[in-house]
Amino acid sequence: MTVGGVLDRTEIAALRCDGITKAFQGVHAVNGAAFDVPEGQITALIGPNGAGKTTVVNILSGAMRCDSGREFLGETEVTNWPSYRIARLGLLRTFQLSRELGGLTVLENLLTAPAHQEGESLANVFFRPGRVRRQEREHAERALDVLDIYGLYQHRDVRARELSGGQKKLLEIARAVMAEPKILLLDEPMAGVNPALIELIGAYIVDLRESGVTVLMIEHNLNVVEQICDYVVVLAEGRTLATGRLNELRQNTAVVKAYLGEVIDAGAAH
Amino acid sequence: MQLFWLSLGFGFVTASVLAIAAVGLSLQFGITNYVNFAYGDFMALGGFFAYVLNNEVFHLNIWIALVLGALAMGALAVIINRLILGPFARRFRSGHYVLIVTFGLSLILLNVEYSIWGAQVRFFNMPIAQAKSIGPMLLTKNQLIVMAIAVVLMIAVHTMLKVTRLGKCMRAMSDDTTLAMTSGIDTNRITTITWFLSGSLAGVAGTVLGISEGNLTPASGELFLFVIFAAVIVGGVGSIYGAMAGAVLIGLATEISAAFINPSYKLDIAFVILILALLTRPSGLFSRPGTT
Amino acid sequence: MTYYVFTLVFFLFDYWILAMGLNIQYGETGILNFAYIGFVAIGAYFTGVFSLHSAKGTGQFYILGLGLPFPLNLLLGGIAAMSLALLVALITLRRLRTDYLAIVLISLSLVLYDFCNNYVGLFNGADGLYNVPEPFAKPFGLNVNSFIPFFACVAAVVSLLMWFAMSRVMRSPMGRTFRAVRDDEVVAAALGKNVFGVKLKSMLIGSFYAGVGGGLLIQFGGSFNPTAWLPGETFVVFAVLLVGGVGSNLGMFVGALLVETLLIHLPAFLPEIPGHPGLIEYFDSALVGIVLMVMLWFRPQGVAPERLRRTPSFGVVPQDSDNSGAIGSLSSPAALELGDAP
Repeated sequence: MTVGGVLDRTEIAALRCDGITKAFQGVHAVNGAAFDVPEGQITALIGPNGAGKTTVVNILSGAMRCDSGREFLGETEVTNWPSYRIARLGLLRTFQLSRELGGLTVLENLLTAPAHQEGESLANVFFRPGRVRRQEREHAERALDVLDIYGLYQHRDVRARELSGGQKKLLEIARAVMAEPKILLLDEPMAGVNPALIELIGAYIVDLRESGVTVLMIEHNLNVVEQICDYVVVLAEGRTLATGRLNELRQNTAVVKAYLGEVIDAGAAH
Repeated sequence: MQLFWLSLGFGFVTASVLAIAAVGLSLQFGITNYVNFAYGDFMALGGFFAYVLNNEVFHLNIWIALVLGALAMGALAVIINRLILGPFARRFRSGHYVLIVTFGLSLILLNVEYSIWGAQVRFFNMPIAQAKSIGPMLLTKNQLIVMAIAVVLMIAVHTMLKVTRLGKCMRAMSDDTTLAMTSGIDTNRITTITWFLSGSLAGVAGTVLGISEGNLTPASGELFLFVIFAAVIVGGVGSIYGAMAGAVLIGLATEISAAFINPSYKLDIAFVILILALLTRPSGLFSRPGTT
Repeated sequence: MTYYVFTLVFFLFDYWILAMGLNIQYGETGILNFAYIGFVAIGAYFTGVFSLHSAKGTGQFYILGLGLPFPLNLLLGGIAAMSLALLVALITLRRLRTDYLAIVLISLSLVLYDFCNNYVGLFNGADGLYNVPEPFAKPFGLNVNSFIPFFACVAAVVSLLMWFAMSRVMRSPMGRTFRAVRDDEVVAAALGKNVFGVKLKSMLIGSFYAGVGGGLLIQFGGSFNPTAWLPGETFVVFAVLLVGGVGSNLGMFVGALLVETLLIHLPAFLPEIPGHPGLIEYFDSALVGIVLMVMLWFRPQGVAPERLRRTPSFGVVPQDSDNSGAIGSLSSPAALELGDAP
């Protein structure tokens, strides 16, 4: 078990952050977050409400700027890079309240995801239509496969805003997956979702790890964390409280006091 | 130097007109959260109401006509909100259809005014004023009255916002409408009152603009609108005091600049200042957080 | 009489082009460009001063005056509009959210209008440019009467070319990225799109259309002055777009037909009401506003709305179409139906 950002020597950090602070009108939402996210594993970001988890994810993905601190993607420093540049380096994120591109169809939502599309250049649209068509076809093939895996194939031509809540959650993840991320930040992927779907999404996330994606997920449901997460980072009051494996953390009194208290008792009752 | 003081005097007059207009716009924007692009036409209409009372129907004293005209415009603003703007704003929450609707409203009001009064220039029926020396500045009695009206209205608005219950409700709604609703504030009533105030202030501003420029046409308000926008944005969107500060800044700057450049372009200076403000301090002088 | 019909036809095609430009900016990318008519005017003015010869001795005052032929002057007019768009975008697009951008843009439109009205040396001030040479008139030996049907056809050809180009863009990944930015620019950025770059492209392309539309106006009428482009004119283009149906190919044409041709130009047929000059015109302009409000309320999708544009699936079927991917039975539709709250 470690506090702060130091992993075992055998693990590589896909994503590192250090000394992140962020204040909103004088109130510190994040006040010294520092942790490493090990490559190729599923890491949970847990902590009581108001601990600053979503803010940290916003900062790490570039949606917000931090007041101080540093962030590294592998060897590259990406502190305060705008979100589109971070995304192009392979870090994708989902949102807590799913944000589908409502006016586009489900298929189009996925087709938007890949970076560096030939067809996004005006010159290519007019002068190299063959190339554009070929790449579109490749993307469409892959997108339809992804939609199939996530059970959305039959809805591919439906406008995204017409999907149900659960379907939008799946679309959110499918869209990020389509972009072939190296690192995926999931903001409460199971929130507000019925139990059958939770298992399903959990299985998808494990699948992602198997294909080499590094996952960092904000999660409140500790059963899920126990089942699928390899590594845990605990945030409280805007700073990193502890990091390590879940069973180690259960014995850390500071963590228990801040967060895990009730669950420990329930666990003991098993 | 003489020119500078003269310009400064005129600057205060323009600032007065601007302040009245800008505060009216800011009040409404703070509550409804969308900009009324027909505001310039509210001003012109208010001016024409005063004109009718002053010149055609009852031949009232211009200052009385001003007040009555403003109240009439306030009432009309409430009706327009009730019938058109309110329903559209409720129905299309996200989406900028409301802005397009206010733009359309502007076109409608302008052409209705043209239909009724035609395009010719109108003059208020008021005694010709002589310029008096106030220190190094040269101002007419009417201009001084205009400035006095502006000061009185600013103090009134300030008092209302800080002291009265209505003002507190308005400030609450301006910060967070949903929270205000759940705190038991009758948001519909406050919105109606706000539109009345906004329309009335627009009416005063339009009449006062006509007095200060010496003439009135249906398009007068529209052509002045961008100066008001400049004042509001430079001062900081969402802040009433920002609107006042912006009005003073823009008012003085435009008039003083007229001493150095071709006076036909003096209002365009407001736009230049707006762009400079955007480049250097985009949140404005006094903006509230979360409004940009 | 036929010449009047051809005039209507010209305005139909010209406003179709204008609608296309605004559609790219607003319909596809969500930029509320309330200064649109300003770009049209720049296109018109620059096309004019590129066509006219030197100002000396004409009694007009204007810049340039290069006497270039059609369609070169038209293209340059389009490029001039694009240049203004570039300047505007660099200063405003990054910093302002939609409604504040609308405020700044409408202010720009007014200031531009004011400036062109006052600064005589630029485009002849309030009088505007006139005696702009009619394209192809000499080589084809056209007189005043035959020019109108001829140029209406020219406008039709230009508009069809531009429609074809716009369709290509709308169907391409670039068009899709425009729409993604319109729907949710935070998501678009999170997917790696440079939102500012996308909006800039959209502004530039749309302004080119605006400039060309304006250039055709001055070439058709031979003159162009500030009364043609009070900021309210931008609203007419919005009305064309919204009444017809935003984003719909047919909708833009229908909108141009309904609003520009029928609503605005047809009433010129009606006789003046004695004692009230211009009343019909005023009533007409107000009617455009009323029609738009009515349409937005009762049929916001427009008269000829966009039918679902399918990104072609290329006839591709996924490999494991029996739904037995790694997840097996869990991904069956039944599991998804259970308790999914819409």
